[in-house]
Amino acid sequence: MKPFTLLATFAAEPAKTQIAYLHGVDIAVIAIYFAIVIYIGFYLKGESNTSEDFFMAGREMTMWIAGLSFVSANLGSLELMGWAGSAYEYGILATHWYWIGAIPAMLFLGLVMMPFYYISKVNSVPGYLNLRYGPGTRALSGISFAFMTILMSGINMYAMAVVMKVVLGWDLNFSIWVSSITVAVYVALGGLRSAIYNEVLQFFLIWIGSLLIPILGLIEVGSWHNLEAKIYERLHTHDYVHLWSTLGHFRDNPMGVNWFGIIFGLGFVVSFGYWTTDFLVVQRVLAAKDLRSAKMAPILGSALKMCVPFIVILPGLLALGVLPYKLVGTTVAMHTGQHTYNEVLPLMLVRYCGPGLLGLGVTALIAGFMSGMAGNVSAFSTVWTYDIYAAFLNKNATDQHYVKMGRWCTLLGVLVSVGTAYIVQHAASIMDYVQQLFSFFIAPLFGTVIVGMLWKRATKEGGFWGLLVGTVTSISLWLWVKFDPHALRYVALSPDAKEMAENIYRALWAWSAGVIVTVIVSYATQPRPVAELEGLVYGATKIPKEYDEHWYQKPILWAGIVFVAFLALNIIFW
Amino acid sequence: MRETMSIWFFCGVLFFIYGIIITGQGIWELSHPPAQPPVLYSLHAPIWWGAMMGIAGLFYTIRHWPHRNR
Repeated sequence: MKPFTLLATFAAEPAKTQIAYLHGVDIAVIAIYFAIVIYIGFYLKGESNTSEDFFMAGREMTMWIAGLSFVSANLGSLELMGWAGSAYEYGILATHWYWIGAIPAMLFLGLVMMPFYYISKVNSVPGYLNLRYGPGTRALSGISFAFMTILMSGINMYAMAVVMKVVLGWDLNFSIWVSSITVAVYVALGGLRSAIYNEVLQFFLIWIGSLLIPILGLIEVGSWHNLEAKIYERLHTHDYVHLWSTLGHFRDNPMGVNWFGIIFGLGFVVSFGYWTTDFLVVQRVLAAKDLRSAKMAPILGSALKMCVPFIVILPGLLALGVLPYKLVGTTVAMHTGQHTYNEVLPLMLVRYCGPGLLGLGVTALIAGFMSGMAGNVSAFSTVWTYDIYAAFLNKNATDQHYVKMGRWCTLLGVLVSVGTAYIVQHAASIMDYVQQLFSFFIAPLFGTVIVGMLWKRATKEGGFWGLLVGTVTSISLWLWVKFDPHALRYVALSPDAKEMAENIYRALWAWSAGVIVTVIVSYATQPRPVAELEGLVYGATKIPKEYDEHWYQKPILWAGIVFVAFLALNIIFW
Repeated sequence: MRETMSIWFFCGVLFFIYGIIITGQGIWELSHPPAQPPVLYSLHAPIWWGAMMGIAGLFYTIRHWPHRNR
């Protein structure tokens, strides 16, 4: 084995070749991780024999496990790699996706929406839509969700394979197949329980493997103020280190977005859509053992989510200050051979971590990939089996048959998502691609769910047409800008808007169109009797009273503390 | 009858093993420094980071050690 070498990290113009070699100790660290996740899958196989066990983990998770899994399923490699890259490209503005783009929505899920999901005892979000709006809406949301999860899984896979290529020179195909087969094995064997167990493990692994980068980075630059000064020295602007003060107009910040889009498009539509209706994350909370745990899990998750920028955004900003060369977008990199934004995290990892720690950091990135992919695949398997297969194709099969179908679906989902991994290779930035998917499917879905949950008058026809029109609106707006880039000034309300702003505003339009159509069609059609809406709609549901033993156990108290911290952070980094 | 092993036990075991491996590597590097050391090599991060992982891992392994139900 060759000695650990930094081939390109300190070069003025890095060649796009392998930047580090693994020692035996690194390979041991990675191999032990693979052995343990597969062991967990085999160990839990015996406890996933019924559909309730396989798809819902027996609904016996504590708030800690559900909360950690809730955040970890979201903390895929694209979150780590993509947002670190976005932080390098757009500066601290990327933090909005962790704070205003997550915290209020997670608290809303815990305090307001979770009781409805939990009391109705549904197995999935499309399952809730079935009870509220009927099978048509369930089928539409089930199919669009299944499609989106497979694509997202492919993105995760690509992000991980890039790490292996850049850091270790591993072949893209090799990385994709080894890791995806591992995920397929442990999810197919142990179902959601195995996915959740591994997600908790992966959450800690991601933190332990990534945390040294910001710690050592801050030691190198000296302090946050020194980092600000270093970035200013290089870029001659303070735009990269302020969260809100540059959002007055699209042209005043690197992201080309404004405060209205961030608050209403991201903070309301995209964020609430993702965190309250994307079954990938909601499934983890539905596995909680009781209503209190189900309410506390997203609140706990929000506190953890608020800390993630420390290991994702800060490394991107540190790279702006300390890397002696410039990273570029994928398109430019293909011509020049420079490193891309998406590679910033592994580059920083190699900068600070020698043998052993490098293996740990690479394992953290693999763990991120696996948690993201397992989340997508287990959610896909559940939605396919419950909301498409059992609902429309084979209604009267045995419980064992559905478990078997879930296992096969897991394998199929992995196979299909391997194919999608190759599509994203041409996206300029991974996160732009993700935002496109969210605006297509999640924003309209949120409109349909929230109207149905809060408004008794919403009808079956209203829900179906609202969801359909919202999705079609989003895809149409995307196509419009794709074929006529000048249309961006209409979609994002400014000729200075950039791609991320387009995604945010497209989501806002799609949500608005969906909600408006739902309301209009609902008024034109016959509503269901209120008695039929019990357990599904606010005002028609008796929420069980909670009796917390102590005042400090109340979910509202912890939600309040998290919200105050969220406000404080936004003010500090204003 | 088998008791389900806690997820915290798995975490503990993994981090304990990692702690031993990484601390051991850090100590070995004291006498065999790498030819091209990473930035801030002088802080010997593997030693203290690995030690912290090992101690936390050992604590969780012992605390959540599975017992057979009688």
